[in-house]
Amino acid sequence: MSTDWDVAVVGAGTAGLVAARVAAERGLRVVVYERMSPGGQLVNLTALHDHPGGTGPELMSRLTAAAEDAGVRIAYAEVTRVHPGTPARLATGDGEVTAGAVVVAAGLSAGRLGLPGESSLVGRGISTCAGCDGPLFRGRAVAVVGDDEWTAEEALELAGSASAVTVLVPGEPRWSAARAARLAADERVEVVPDATVTALRGEGVLSGVVVRTSNGKRELAVAGVFPFVGRRGPEGLVAGLAADAEGRLVPGDGVLVAGDARAGAEQSLAAAEADGRTAGEAAVAALAAGTGSLRIVDPTYGVLPEDDAGPLEATGSRATWTDVALFTNSKPNATELLRGLGARLQAHWQLPELGFAAKDSASVPADPDQIDWLSQRFKMVLVAVGD
Amino acid sequence: MELERRGVVAPLVVTETFLPLVQAQARARRVQPRLLVVPHPVGGLNEAELAGRIEGAAAELLRMADEARGLS
Repeated sequence: MSTDWDVAVVGAGTAGLVAARVAAERGLRVVVYERMSPGGQLVNLTALHDHPGGTGPELMSRLTAAAEDAGVRIAYAEVTRVHPGTPARLATGDGEVTAGAVVVAAGLSAGRLGLPGESSLVGRGISTCAGCDGPLFRGRAVAVVGDDEWTAEEALELAGSASAVTVLVPGEPRWSAARAARLAADERVEVVPDATVTALRGEGVLSGVVVRTSNGKRELAVAGVFPFVGRRGPEGLVAGLAADAEGRLVPGDGVLVAGDARAGAEQSLAAAEADGRTAGEAAVAALAAGTGSLRIVDPTYGVLPEDDAGPLEATGSRATWTDVALFTNSKPNATELLRGLGARLQAHWQLPELGFAAKDSASVPADPDQIDWLSQRFKMVLVAVGD
Repeated sequence: MELERRGVVAPLVVTETFLPLVQAQARARRVQPRLLVVPHPVGGLNEAELAGRIEGAAAELLRMADEARGLS
């Protein structure tokens, strides 16, 4: 059976990158599909308290490099549907591809409270990344909503800069005793069990939340709220695959699931790594079983031309060196930083003006039409931050 | 990085915390990005701190831009 890939992995977080590396080290042709950039959730965590990997970005860069070194191809496209079978078919932003084995390691969606007005306050007080946005709330009160390990870790991250962190737990905490002890030891942190956020306060920017607890209603004046509830697994991504109440997938039909996307998975870095290894090895075993004891390896067969890697053909742009623009990913202070640097360049080159473009949010990929326009219209584009 | 692949000179401001990850991503995309590295974080800085980031990166930006344009 010829396929585009031996193994296709959906998601370049911890579990996905480890699964991919394990399979590639056995000589298999492996691709990882990633909608945004490698790293998953760990990119947002500056300190890793139960892992010797340094910071989240440092660990993820090592995992990414290790996968690359093993021969894994990382494709920046979204997988919208997986059809199990022999071979499996994946609908991607780059078209349909086939694979002998599939590992779904797409993680969980961002948290959300599901309240009126919430979407308009994202980036204006509502965030799901303490590492990214914590500094915005330096010296101010914030709330974190959730009951799991990630909630506890983000609360601890925020406690490093916020004046007060109220952890609103729907029910009872499900985090470890070790994290419970660290939270209890920080006098800036208050954990409130049986708490439900029922309303958001603020016009244009968050000013507080209304909380219902077992003791009644409470108004909490906070500048930021970090919801880690309402996070859903990739239910519906794989045709015919069952999911639990939180949308996390139950492996089956020849489709492997690893990391937080898997029903019943423990939410920890160590568990994600272990899951990734297990899934990678299972993919290797499944393909070996399908081909019998003798596997003929032809390194040139089925290898796709690298037509989407490296420089592309010139787009026919007529832009000159007076055509310079700024492109912000809308992270806090990114635009201000760009404008400051842009002003320096404008003065240095005596440019009449600078173009400007912005992503709607740092959490989504750049709009392809926007990239097309920038590449056609401008000779140089200054980009911020880290995107 | 996509812009660089299309022949646009695209200096990218990245904070030092994310530099290794950006470099790993650049390898995966087969691109050699032009990076302006600034101290982490950028978000949450006050006006004076932000001005410091700008000042710290400006000289390298101008050097990089002039080089790309063939002026240096």
